[in-house]
Amino acid sequence: MAAVPASPKDPLQPLRLGTDNTPWWAHAIKWGLLGLILLAGAYVIQRVISNGSWLGVVITAFIVMCVLAVYSTRRAVPMKYLLPGLILLVTLQIWPIVYTVSTAFTNYGQGHTLSKEDATARTIADSVQEIPGSERYKMSVAVKEGGDPTTAELFMLLVKPDGTLHVGSKDGLTDLAKDGVEVGGTGKITKAPGYTVLNAKQGNARSKDLDALTVPVGKQGGLKAVGLSQAFEGAPTITYDAKADTLTQVKDGKTTVYVPKNAYWSPKDGGQALPTGWKENVGFKNFSNLLTNETIRAGFLKIFLWNVAFAAISVLSTFFLGMLLALLFNDDKLKGKGIYRSILILPYAIPGFVTALVWASMFNQDFGLVNSLTHLHIDWLGNAWAAKAAILITNLWLGFPYMFLVCTGALQSIPSDVKEAAKIDGANAFRTLRSIIMPLLLVAVGPLLIASFAFNFNNFSLIYLLTQGGPFNASDTSIGSTDLLITYAFRLAFSGASPNIGLASAVCIFIFMIVAAMSYSGFRRTASLEEIN
Amino acid sequence: MHKRAYGAAAITGVAALVLAGCGSSSDKTSFTTTASATASASESSDSTSASSSSTSAAAPAAVDEKNPARADADLVIWADADRAPILTKYAQQFAADNGVTVAVQIAAQTRQQFGDATKVGKGPDIVVGAHDWLGEMVQNGTVAPIQLDAATTAKFAPSAVAASKFNGQNYGVPFSVENIALVRNTDMVPDAPATLDDLLKAAKAAQAKDSKITTLLDQSVGKTGNAYYTYPWLSAYGGGIFGTTASGDYDPAKVIVNSAESLKGAEQLAAMGKQKVLSTNVGDDNSEALFTGGKAPFFITGPWSIPNVKKAGIKYGISSLPSLPGGDAMQPFLGVQLFYVSAKAKNAALAQDFVTQYVPTKEFQLAIFQAGGRPPALTEAYDEVAASDPDVKAWYEAGKDGKPMPNIPAMNSVWGPLGQAASDVIAGKAEAKARFDAAQKEIVAAIKKSS
Repeated sequence: MAAVPASPKDPLQPLRLGTDNTPWWAHAIKWGLLGLILLAGAYVIQRVISNGSWLGVVITAFIVMCVLAVYSTRRAVPMKYLLPGLILLVTLQIWPIVYTVSTAFTNYGQGHTLSKEDATARTIADSVQEIPGSERYKMSVAVKEGGDPTTAELFMLLVKPDGTLHVGSKDGLTDLAKDGVEVGGTGKITKAPGYTVLNAKQGNARSKDLDALTVPVGKQGGLKAVGLSQAFEGAPTITYDAKADTLTQVKDGKTTVYVPKNAYWSPKDGGQALPTGWKENVGFKNFSNLLTNETIRAGFLKIFLWNVAFAAISVLSTFFLGMLLALLFNDDKLKGKGIYRSILILPYAIPGFVTALVWASMFNQDFGLVNSLTHLHIDWLGNAWAAKAAILITNLWLGFPYMFLVCTGALQSIPSDVKEAAKIDGANAFRTLRSIIMPLLLVAVGPLLIASFAFNFNNFSLIYLLTQGGPFNASDTSIGSTDLLITYAFRLAFSGASPNIGLASAVCIFIFMIVAAMSYSGFRRTASLEEIN
Repeated sequence: MHKRAYGAAAITGVAALVLAGCGSSSDKTSFTTTASATASASESSDSTSASSSSTSAAAPAAVDEKNPARADADLVIWADADRAPILTKYAQQFAADNGVTVAVQIAAQTRQQFGDATKVGKGPDIVVGAHDWLGEMVQNGTVAPIQLDAATTAKFAPSAVAASKFNGQNYGVPFSVENIALVRNTDMVPDAPATLDDLLKAAKAAQAKDSKITTLLDQSVGKTGNAYYTYPWLSAYGGGIFGTTASGDYDPAKVIVNSAESLKGAEQLAAMGKQKVLSTNVGDDNSEALFTGGKAPFFITGPWSIPNVKKAGIKYGISSLPSLPGGDAMQPFLGVQLFYVSAKAKNAALAQDFVTQYVPTKEFQLAIFQAGGRPPALTEAYDEVAASDPDVKAWYEAGKDGKPMPNIPAMNSVWGPLGQAASDVIAGKAEAKARFDAAQKEIVAAIKKSS
């Protein structure tokens, strides 16, 4: 919301509890900013109203009032510091979590985006068919002379293919006297006595009324407008019975009754459901689907083990390479360290997705750089184990500069007197590293290793760009050899015949619980590291 | 990588959720966060692009004073970057003729952006897109039927008309048809081969002369496969993906991926893999480079590759896909480009008028042909273009007997399994029948699960 980013500015002003020495311009700035926030809030509310969301209006108004209440008075001094953070916390952290959890209990996804009423109305509108053998009329939209073009009842001025003139209204079709009627070059009536013909802009402004206008002719349906130039005789083939909550379709002389089933209109006697479904609450169905589905159960353990191995090996390999390089380049005797360090950081500076795509082409069996340099003929991306190796190598390339950076920083913060003391005590270089430097380094970078683990645990983009989860088992393309839980969930939710956001949300909750549990136990262990100090 | 990526992802993802959340109540969030972020970004630039690209003729009606013109235009069209400029020119004509304002906007991710924006009531009145989006759009209730009269319908290529229908209802007005064909390097192979055997003979002869050639037949396969390029191998023997219902629509209940006909195609793919003609090491990422680099004499591709082929200075010829041994000619899928009218169009009447009165005219179809170079869907316009442009004629001839790509949502369940099956068979990892049986089983199960 627009009000959010503006609010953190206020706490930057010097806070003085006495009024006397506050300069006048500070007041001016403060009230100016508050005014701006008010204006921004009003603008947002206006936009939200035009979308018809009253919840949005309430939330925006609430936030703006909070800002006013906190900053326009002298009270609530702690809140002046806390409010921006609180607003950001709620909008950026808590709201998405609440939203994800609530979506997990619905069937929201492709084919299930509308409400039931909207879906039913859409289904009926989509079923309108031109009555076979009927004629097309040239049409102009008009109101009675003197009527207000924006509100008056609409009439269709019609020219039949045989040249006869008619007037259509909601009551029916009547003839139009030829006297005084002018027909334009496109065959449409441009002028008729007693009527005001609407121009394109006026007619367009009445789109909704025009859509609602059906001129009853024949036994069923009636004349409906096509745009602003034509009218056709058509009727919906589907009707809604509100009492029984059923749809009845009469098509090609066949009557089918549809009943609501799994959030679709399904034929009572079985068969293909109508395409437009609706969103509804499904309770714990998404969760029970995940827990009881056999493919998911069979694939889960395999994917989970690889996922943990991938994250752990990635963190360890990048950390050791990064640390070794950091130790090397931390040596005082080395000249030109700045240049070496800059070069080492390069892989980190290039966007990860570019790197992943470049590595993907380098791993090509026939045309790739890796095989042509090593004179091997390994099917890097087509063999399950080779693909795993390819991913780990790419991630090592992508990740070591980060570890190099943080290790360099941590090493420089280790006081040199500790190292000197070790030297005096007769420790050799390796012993110093093992007993002095490593423990001190790990205290600093331990939490970062856990963060890196959590990041790699959900490293969607790398897998997706390099192997797309493949190579796949011959009997099942939903479980790939290099799939992580997150890429697996993505495919599970989005590659079926209808992408299912509700199911995806449920998977996200499971993944969140796994990552949270692992991170928690990880942080508990680093806490024990700190006791060394 | 780590922290930055975290932050950026969190901010965009969450910002999109918040924006969408503010948009309305809970049922209106977008499918993917990034796409919705771009959608809202393009939304915010509406006013500027609308004012720069729209034109209005004076509409001196008394009513306009009482009913001040809205900030947005009377007709808003979304199209891809290639077609938007040409469309703008034509839309200005329409605007001047009717005394209204028309805005054409470029939507880079049209399919996603249209779906997301329409759900929150911010979508355009008209959107330009491919026919295979249709099933999804009808499922989500985002497009409105278009009642074309019989005389106008008859002016289009029948396959284009069939492609704009779903469940017996017409939802689009077509303007171009595209398909893949055989593109050859005429310096290496002067004459178009009629059969696969001829093709291989010519390719081997070319390879004997030019050791640079690594790939006899350049077709995108990839490690995860590509069902779009696999289909012609099945269709040559009468196989394919879906059978049809009595009314001629694709029937999701009749999957024919492992029919006897389709299996003949699968065997052929296996043979091609064994002979190292096709390879899973040729994919979307390098197939075009192989041809433009002079490393392949034949390239199965569509009109989208031609600009780069021209840029590389390759002399090329376009011909129909060859026939396979013991079968007929390979038939590609047709992709039809359509004008759709949004189900939530604010200017439904004008939008319907535009697509039913202006899009089916020869002038319009010729104008939009300039932007894409694809054969026009209107027969009259195609005839005029084909007389002077041999490429267009060749593309059309190659797709003349092809069928439209299925626009039913069940097709979503086919891409992965069928592509992978073809890839595995070409790589020699699995025997053709067993592998395509497995794919059939998987596709049928996926369709069942979601209906």
